[in-house]
Amino acid sequence: MHHTAVVVGGNRTPFAKVGGPLAEASNQDLLIAALDGLIARHGLAGARMGEVAGGAVLKHPRDFNLTREAVLGTSLAPDTPACDLQQACGTGLEATVYIANKIRLGQIDAGIAAGVDSASNAPVTVSEPLRRILARASRARSAAERIKVLARIRPSHLAPLAPGVAEPRTGLSMGEHQALTTERWGVTREEQDRIAADSHRSLAAAWDRGFFDDLVTPYLGVTRDAILRPDTTVEKLATLRPAFGGPEGSMTAGNSTALSDGAAAVLLASEDWAREHHLPILAKVVDAEVASVDHPGGDDLLLGPVAATGRLLARQGLGIADMDLVEIHEAFASTVAATRKAWADPEHCAALGLDGPIGTIPDDRLNVTGSSLAAGHPFAATGARIVPTLAKLLHERGPGSRGLISICAAGGQGVVAILEGM
Amino acid sequence: MAVEVLSEAPGMGAAFARAMVPARARGARLPEDPVRLEGYRQDAARLADYARVCGFPLRDTVPPTWLHVLTFPLHVHLLGDRRSSVRLVGAVHVSNSMTLRRPVSVREELAIEVAARGLRPHQRGALLDLVGTIRVAGETVWEGVSTYLASGMEVPGEPVELPREPFTAVVPHARWRLPAGLGRDYRRVSGDPNPIHTSRLAARAFGFPRPIIHGMWTHARALAALDGRLPEAYRTDVAFTKPVLLPGSVGFHAALADGVHSVAVTSRDGAKPHLLMSVSSTERARA
Repeated sequence: MHHTAVVVGGNRTPFAKVGGPLAEASNQDLLIAALDGLIARHGLAGARMGEVAGGAVLKHPRDFNLTREAVLGTSLAPDTPACDLQQACGTGLEATVYIANKIRLGQIDAGIAAGVDSASNAPVTVSEPLRRILARASRARSAAERIKVLARIRPSHLAPLAPGVAEPRTGLSMGEHQALTTERWGVTREEQDRIAADSHRSLAAAWDRGFFDDLVTPYLGVTRDAILRPDTTVEKLATLRPAFGGPEGSMTAGNSTALSDGAAAVLLASEDWAREHHLPILAKVVDAEVASVDHPGGDDLLLGPVAATGRLLARQGLGIADMDLVEIHEAFASTVAATRKAWADPEHCAALGLDGPIGTIPDDRLNVTGSSLAAGHPFAATGARIVPTLAKLLHERGPGSRGLISICAAGGQGVVAILEGM
Repeated sequence: MAVEVLSEAPGMGAAFARAMVPARARGARLPEDPVRLEGYRQDAARLADYARVCGFPLRDTVPPTWLHVLTFPLHVHLLGDRRSSVRLVGAVHVSNSMTLRRPVSVREELAIEVAARGLRPHQRGALLDLVGTIRVAGETVWEGVSTYLASGMEVPGEPVELPREPFTAVVPHARWRLPAGLGRDYRRVSGDPNPIHTSRLAARAFGFPRPIIHGMWTHARALAALDGRLPEAYRTDVAFTKPVLLPGSVGFHAALADGVHSVAVTSRDGAKPHLLMSVSSTERARA
């Protein structure tokens, strides 16, 4: 049995900067808000979905069943199963692949892929020595023994720990890693600021033409992405000071994504189910691929998607020129620039085991409605933001149009997928 | 009858202090005039805090119990009025009804009105209703009736029997653990400073061994447990049958029959009810 998995639609909250207007909302609140809108838009109240897969990168241990708990907070039938899935910034796209694969195998008829992150509510944990002492104390058999164990607590153990932003094996933050990549691939400040300005301009234009009216539901008084600055220019961006790469660095707060709050969800179904329920069919999920690089060995942390893109295109017998639209997640403007340089580099592609370079794409096919620099980047939500956006764009272009999604993720990973308009 | 229009929410401190002073008169009297607050803007951050304390997700649309909380300063204002011989002190919240006519957004500006009505005799004192109405641009979106028993007060007439809610023991399918600090948390989000909910001494003065949680917290928590299962517009009725001591554990049981959710918050074993609640869509309530 083989079925066609299609994107029916999507919904997300507007995204906002850390500590901004969505700061009071927890991961669960945000995820419920995204699901509520998706349910309302597609008439799913009371419906039992095959499965809901979602996740968050910054997750408190008590939220181990975040997605299932969120489902129970919505009007979906309470017997809708859910699972938490996490692959850093690739979460939303990986969740889409997971649901789409189940649909293609005939295991479920319809499901929801989702992602959420609240940088404003990142869990704070206790230090490792304190955690060990507390764990030992809870196992103590007597009060005296417990006191003896607890007496080992030192003031230095008590400082709370913010979630780590550094790659565990390199000690470098994502920005610091990307600064190395920026240098290695010779990405200029001008290139980066141009990408950032284009992202804001394209996203603002898409909002203005009503493109997001059926993809975003206002939440807590926020009706548009709060990070978006329609009036930003290359000149304004050029005045910002470097944030990564030292005083001579070219990466700034303007051409790097902001820590963000938000959630996004995608409704996927078999083509038959969507037709039976008289729901829109925007695009089909063609195929997907995941790859990793050896960043502890010195590889570019955020270029994981390059190998995935090459292998995926080869498997499908397609070239990058067959892609009418391309979505490259803007972790940093420099990531987009370096990804395109790597695609065109014969040596780099050969080292990845690909049969020649992936090639180049014209600018007007890339991130045509803006991307994470302008919209914001709640880590796990980004894939679930991009999938419905691209599906709708391909649907507008007509059946047979193809699009590629490329998302880099912490740990040197990359998730890519191809959608085809229907 | 004239409506007393307030320009801002009455401060709870002084009004509450007055409302807490026992009345000397035994004859129950209430102010006739409703009191109204117009152009009220909801505080989204306080709503977020309220939602966390009561177990609601933070949505654009607000729970009906939150709207009740917004009427509470007017309850205090009315019962602190010199024309009122009924005081909040000694008045027991025995039952509550609310109708949410349509979803209300946290961004909507509200006109909040409360009137004291229905003074009637009871074996143990006087019953009265604080009737609340919330409008948005002239449209009534929420109505609430809070029934209080003013112990020891007198009203002429034959005492009315409060209908005893029928209850048969249930097997709870959830347990809530209420921490000792819950009264303080709910005080913060509700603005109800009654020390009976936070102080052991005050609780003892009113005959309780420990502080008791606000009935409206229990009501809110029970509604939150049904979240996702409720229609857009509904009526909910509760009877507060027995206070819940803090800290403590209670049982929860809910059943849906003929479109009506019947909920009991009980002792841990399900034998005795603390709160009985029903929720039904307004379509049904009207029929």
